[in-house]
Amino acid sequence: MTASNQSKQFEAAVAAWHKGRERYASKLQAQSTLSGLPIKTVYTQDDVSQDSVDVMPGVYPFTRGLYPDGYVLTPWAQQMVFGYGTIDETRQKMEKMVAEGMEGYFGNNIFNVVYDIPCMYGIDADHPEAESNLGQCGVHMSTGDDYDELVRDWELEKSNFSMITGDNCLPALALLVAAAERRGKGPESLRGNSMNWYPRTAVQDIPSWEPRWGYALMVDLIKWATINAPAWNTTNIFMYGISEAGGTPVQELAYGLSWGKSVIDAGLAAGLDPDQFIGRLGFQIGCTVNLFEEVAKFRAHRRMWAKLCRDAGCKKPSSMHARVHCHTNGYVLTQQQLLNNNARITLQALAAALGGVQSIHTCSYDEATTIPTEESHRTALRTQQILMWESGVRNVADPLGGSYYVEKLTDDMEAAAWEIYNQLEAKGGYLRGLETGEIKRAIDGASYQMKQNINSGRQIVVGLNKYQSESLEQHEPFRVDMAIENKAKQRLAAYKARRDDKAVAASLENVARACEALKAGTGSLMPALIEAARAGATNGEMMVPMRAAFGWYVSE
Amino acid sequence: MSGKPVKVLLAKKKIDVHGRASKLIARELRDAGMEVVYFRFGTVDEIVNAALQEDVDVIAVSIMTSGHLHLAENLVPALKAKGMNDVMVIFGGIIPDVDFEPLRKMGVHRAFPAGLPGSVVVDYINANVGKVGL
Repeated sequence: MTASNQSKQFEAAVAAWHKGRERYASKLQAQSTLSGLPIKTVYTQDDVSQDSVDVMPGVYPFTRGLYPDGYVLTPWAQQMVFGYGTIDETRQKMEKMVAEGMEGYFGNNIFNVVYDIPCMYGIDADHPEAESNLGQCGVHMSTGDDYDELVRDWELEKSNFSMITGDNCLPALALLVAAAERRGKGPESLRGNSMNWYPRTAVQDIPSWEPRWGYALMVDLIKWATINAPAWNTTNIFMYGISEAGGTPVQELAYGLSWGKSVIDAGLAAGLDPDQFIGRLGFQIGCTVNLFEEVAKFRAHRRMWAKLCRDAGCKKPSSMHARVHCHTNGYVLTQQQLLNNNARITLQALAAALGGVQSIHTCSYDEATTIPTEESHRTALRTQQILMWESGVRNVADPLGGSYYVEKLTDDMEAAAWEIYNQLEAKGGYLRGLETGEIKRAIDGASYQMKQNINSGRQIVVGLNKYQSESLEQHEPFRVDMAIENKAKQRLAAYKARRDDKAVAASLENVARACEALKAGTGSLMPALIEAARAGATNGEMMVPMRAAFGWYVSE
Repeated sequence: MSGKPVKVLLAKKKIDVHGRASKLIARELRDAGMEVVYFRFGTVDEIVNAALQEDVDVIAVSIMTSGHLHLAENLVPALKAKGMNDVMVIFGGIIPDVDFEPLRKMGVHRAFPAGLPGSVVVDYINANVGKVGL
């Protein structure tokens, strides 16, 4: 068929389409995505630019995915978050998850371990404010013993330790490095991820470092790892936090990329070579139930990041890869009719896989109300394994590529996100937006708007504002035994009793000096923290001089 | 009710994370004409002292990272010890509904699941404030 015949056929089909809907077209309600972008009822070849279609997976700008054959060479990493109690309980859970088939790339181990809130803030088990929080929403790990148990017997080069820390990000890495050393392994053997996500304070309502010192600490870790642990992923650009705080998918893109740009700028200002450090930055991105918008978001994100990296001076294609871990958004889950959440999580994980992410955490259906049970956590893992092995989504790279709708939505989301991004950059960028509270205000506004839409029923949430039921769920939650508190305290006391207290004290004085040197721009902190970890200093002890030096700041 | 707006202390436990829900409920209570003291993070003593100083009618505790039973167990007696016997105490957030009754037995007047319109909380407060005690 010739092009002109084809075109005539299409024009005739469009005319017939218009005729077919004449009677009711004016009555159709306007539709939009979660981000407020208008959507039509049908998309055609007229909606798609040739530029968007003339691309292949594995080729810049990576809209269609990072790898030429998608998930066929190796599927996404099953990166389930877990961690509770002391390292004893969490170690058992690690072994159980491996037995359940949780795998990273090419069958490697992958452990996405979340710390408890006291560790994140930097207080040990014997601190009064740690009470009732120890081991509750994460594992309590503060001593060399704890880290020895974390890494024991795992083949380090084939095990990925992703450590969900808070302000204790640098001390945690130092403690891990020291534990590896006790096994005779240097930091170059380490695989995994530091969160290094200070910039999250722009959207999360948590006290942390003063902004300039937050960035200085972030860069210190990046510099140290770039030289000493080149396989270590230094930084997690936590876009998930932006959507969890209430940001729309377009805001998540815009502010997330601006955050990433601020890390690139900070690294370049510190004299790092773009091809050496940018490829070790990664993303953690949320995913709602809104399937096509989320697929388009992941596709637009890769393209936008690749452009930013090229502009920053990256030459190697792999440095321009937006490597994405998807954490299915928890906020879409409902406390009402808990089991419905399994349907939501399935759709979320499907969107992430169709979007071509590298790694997925699937929430558990009962997380809307509690820490997940063993059963709900396993079901969450199985949800992504069913997707991986039964659904066929991993057989073809970018299976929605070329869809008129998805390509158009990808373009539209990119354009809308660049608009917000450019406005923020013009006003001084992400760090400035963090300091002024501008980012937080924008996200809070979106969160309020969404709540109003849900309250009024404009945005439907099944079981919450439609098809409600009166009965309670009576779901028995996972409970962390309060005896854990004593166990954590005893572990800490036993560890402290075995140390050379003088050496610990001296190492902590050295940390205090290194903090001042970092502030003055004359030295680095990571080596002093590693020294302190070798000497036996705990997570909480290292945080004391750091807190004294880098302040305590609650963003507006 | 007299013309004086209902005054609510909105608190979270000392070490908690996230703020989306507590900021939303603060705004929804304000939309309904209530005065909200947004206290963010506090230990039991800090919450009690703030409630005393601000002379609030209601203490609303937003929970994200569990510990609600432990907090209620300590908060209610501490309020009584300071003579705050007329204050209303409500909890909301990530709380399993099997804990609603234990919380009630500890003296928490009502626990709300996440996601509901703020008007549900507003209606409860308006119907019961000043009529309940610890």
